[in-house]
Amino acid sequence: MKRYDLIIVGAGPSGLSAAVEAAKRGMRVIVFDENDKPGGQLFKQIHKFFGSKEHRAKIRGFRIGEDLLKEAAEFGVKVVLNATVIGIYPQKEVTVRIEGVVEHYKGDAIIAASGASENMVTFDGWTLPGVIGAGAAQTMMNIHGVKPGRKILMLGSGNVGLVVSFQLMQCGCEVAALVDAAPRVGGYGVHAAKVARTGVPFYLSHTIVKAEGEDHVTGVTIAEVDDKFQFIPGTEKHFEVDTICLAVGLSPMSQLLKMAGCEMEDNPRRGGQVPVCDEKGRTSVAGIFAAGDVSGIEEASSAMIEGRIAGIAAAEYLGYMDSGESEQAIKEQEEALEGLRQGMFAPQNRGKHIETTDEGIQISESLLKKGYIGDDEIERYPGVRHTVGIHPVMECTQNIPCNPCQDACPKGCISIGQNITSLPIAVEGTECVGCGMCVASCSGQAIFLVDEQIEEGYASVTMPYEFLPLPETGTKGKGLGRDGSPVCDAEVIKVQTAKAFDQTHLLTIKVPEDMAMKARFFTF
Amino acid sequence: MADTAEVIIIGGGIIGCAAAYYLARGGVSVIVLEKSSNIGDGGSSRNGGGVRQSGRDPRELPLALYGVEHMWPMLSEELGVNVEYHKEGNLRLGKTDRHREILQGLTDRAVACGLDVNMIGGEEVREINPYLSGEVICASWCPTDGHANPLAATLGFYMRARSSGARFITGEEVLRIEKVKGKARKVVTAGNVYEGGKIIVACGYESRALARTVGIDVPMRKELIEALVTEAEPQMFPQMLGTADADFYGHQTEHGSFVFGGASGFEDTNEDGGRNMTMSITAPEICRGIMKYIPKLAHTKIVRTWAGYEDVCADGIPVISPVGEVPGLILACAFTGHGFGIAPVVGKLLSELAVEQETFLDLREFRYDRFIPCGA
Amino acid sequence: MCSINDRSRDIGEYIPAPDDDMVICRCEEVTKGEIRRAVHAGLFTITEIRRYLRAGMGLCQGQTCARLVKGIVAAELGSVPAELEPASSRAPMRPIEMEVFGNERIG
Repeated sequence: MKRYDLIIVGAGPSGLSAAVEAAKRGMRVIVFDENDKPGGQLFKQIHKFFGSKEHRAKIRGFRIGEDLLKEAAEFGVKVVLNATVIGIYPQKEVTVRIEGVVEHYKGDAIIAASGASENMVTFDGWTLPGVIGAGAAQTMMNIHGVKPGRKILMLGSGNVGLVVSFQLMQCGCEVAALVDAAPRVGGYGVHAAKVARTGVPFYLSHTIVKAEGEDHVTGVTIAEVDDKFQFIPGTEKHFEVDTICLAVGLSPMSQLLKMAGCEMEDNPRRGGQVPVCDEKGRTSVAGIFAAGDVSGIEEASSAMIEGRIAGIAAAEYLGYMDSGESEQAIKEQEEALEGLRQGMFAPQNRGKHIETTDEGIQISESLLKKGYIGDDEIERYPGVRHTVGIHPVMECTQNIPCNPCQDACPKGCISIGQNITSLPIAVEGTECVGCGMCVASCSGQAIFLVDEQIEEGYASVTMPYEFLPLPETGTKGKGLGRDGSPVCDAEVIKVQTAKAFDQTHLLTIKVPEDMAMKARFFTF
Repeated sequence: MADTAEVIIIGGGIIGCAAAYYLARGGVSVIVLEKSSNIGDGGSSRNGGGVRQSGRDPRELPLALYGVEHMWPMLSEELGVNVEYHKEGNLRLGKTDRHREILQGLTDRAVACGLDVNMIGGEEVREINPYLSGEVICASWCPTDGHANPLAATLGFYMRARSSGARFITGEEVLRIEKVKGKARKVVTAGNVYEGGKIIVACGYESRALARTVGIDVPMRKELIEALVTEAEPQMFPQMLGTADADFYGHQTEHGSFVFGGASGFEDTNEDGGRNMTMSITAPEICRGIMKYIPKLAHTKIVRTWAGYEDVCADGIPVISPVGEVPGLILACAFTGHGFGIAPVVGKLLSELAVEQETFLDLREFRYDRFIPCGA
Repeated sequence: MCSINDRSRDIGEYIPAPDDDMVICRCEEVTKGEIRRAVHAGLFTITEIRRYLRAGMGLCQGQTCARLVKGIVAAELGSVPAELEPASSRAPMRPIEMEVFGNERIG
């Protein structure tokens, strides 16, 4: 039987990362993935990632995927696509369907990195065509280039719901509303803010009553729910949409591990049925490891680190590293993982309502309930300062592990400091040259360059812009407030596009002076 | 609730559930103890659903005949659950002259027992079932055989027994049976002691270990065999199929899916890791077997495979017997892979044994103490 | 892991609900009402529900509905989903045509 040191199931972020680490140590590694493209969910992620520079912050997900693939190839990892693992049997035998054949392989070690699947919720009409997972929508548009619908209602305000809503608009769909039964936005405030400022209304404490339509979705009714998630009569709202996206969480696809005899647990904090694993990803079956979403739902950055840890642990298990080396290597990864699991969205804070930042500043209630920071709230954050001339305004108001902005500024105008989750502050006594690097580097699209007086009565606002068509200098339109409502007439006075911006265009608009701290988006 | 009943049944498979139903229906108090979390977790939920008379040991045939004539046709109505019983015949297929010889032998023996079985040629086979390959040259045909849904039948008996007052406790593993004043009386689990006037042991291969706790041994072994189910297809044929070569057996369900069983040839040595594990080589071998006979199914998708144990008796037929040496103890085990088709009959017989009624069929052939060397 | 489960314990009456006709398992078209009624008929485990109603036994093998079914069964039993034992996982992990399954390369 064909035998490899290590068989990895899944060529997503964790599987490829594990493959790289194991192959680096001299192991013969084969990776199977059932899809025709590698990278798992990474290749669907067209947005820039959060995190630290060392861990690829501000790089778009699909580019991270491409880099991982290149790295894997360099170390001799064999990645087999369209290869569906259909079973794991005793003696680490793996059967794989490849085209019209079932091949039997054996591995001295196996890493399951098989990811997760989307959860569904039920409501009247939930089985109508047009009700799809948000991840499915993302696959349609970002992998296959197919527009999922024309007018869409998104259910779920976690990062997936927020990010996919934004991407739906980028691909030309209209997002009619973003709805969540929870009373507060679940995802990053910056993701919410970039959706809200385009004019998408947020309905928290609301959920779907009914999807309408005969043989496909033609509309949807939502209604407000009370604190026991029961509908409040009379609060119904109707939208004419052709697509309903559900972004209501993921469940680990851990069936292979269960079949392999690994001890399993039902752990709601990890998203469902997961293998019982130690911190190195070792399951109860010696030589079988798990990494990424299959062992607990997190995001791609943590999945990559977990993959690296599992790859190192597998190398140690098979004697390709001595335990001293592996301990050191794992320690480094664990520190990185620890770094990502900080801040108010850290796993230990899941479900908690955090009212103030680490700095002691009150979190914007408007952000949590409507998706945008109120004009009366914005001044309390340390990234928002007023100085003469052009200067950055950082509308980053929650403690998340992310710091590319402080490295982006060549003039040292922005500081996050030692603690990666701290809010960025505008450093006193520094001089902004208006290069826009900070604007383009902010994965949350939360940094603006503001010149509060470019001429008598007028200010300029430079914003990140990732939509097509790109307006040209001289285009006249409306400035939109943080809530997405038109606040003033605006004219594009500069459009910057640079390789270093990585496809985030910088749009500078001229707005009335009193709109300098209010206008945050542009339509035309 | 008291842990005492007139009858304690160890084993919540179809035999135990059927016995519990007939007892409860007759007003007898019953407690059923099942080791697994699920009712019918052993062979009852893992078999191919055959309700056959052909191919049976002549000693077992009266039970099968009785079931087909008097019980299966009424069972859905009786239980209030569609057990999907279809009495539309069994074709045992042959492709070679050697197969023909095997089938002729089986047919002759069945006819000798008075069963309506006959040999038919390839053309006639395809008149009965046009989906069978041209390579099939003969079959033994028993028109009164059939199949049913083992899951529905097992859970149907369970639900009716439960609603008739039988008490079921799952996740309750019996460790031993204890005697009181010479009679089997106590049933001991990790945390509880149940007491019954009669104790029926109907827990498959595990019956052996339990019977041993009161000094009785049933010579049997266990064998892990496998089966698979396909996606639903439009209705194609209603017969139960088997082959002279034992490549596969199975049928199409009312749901449209096909349930097929078979073997890789390594069953004697396969190990399952304690969790009914399937082997990587078995299901593919079953698929190859099926396609040789029903080429049209080549594109049908398999959605699930599973494995289950047969409690194989030394002489190929079950033990259904009161144990004279241990008054109060009744054994119903070692069904050797033929248990499902006769389960309703056995359940009813057990209900009679448990109340010391004369049974409606003679059970002498199934005595627990029949295992003595031929020369003795 | 099996815990003692008295199947005669009182879980209350089955009370019809307005959403009983909602399809939960799309592959096998099993409704919420069927699942609820089966629980009240004594099927207290996910495995029994699957075996009796085929919920989660179709082409996707419960990938979509497993979580939903668990929630419904747990609610009827007055339990929480995490306490219900999930069904066993069986090969093949994806539906596979007979001719492919039978076409092995072992060597």
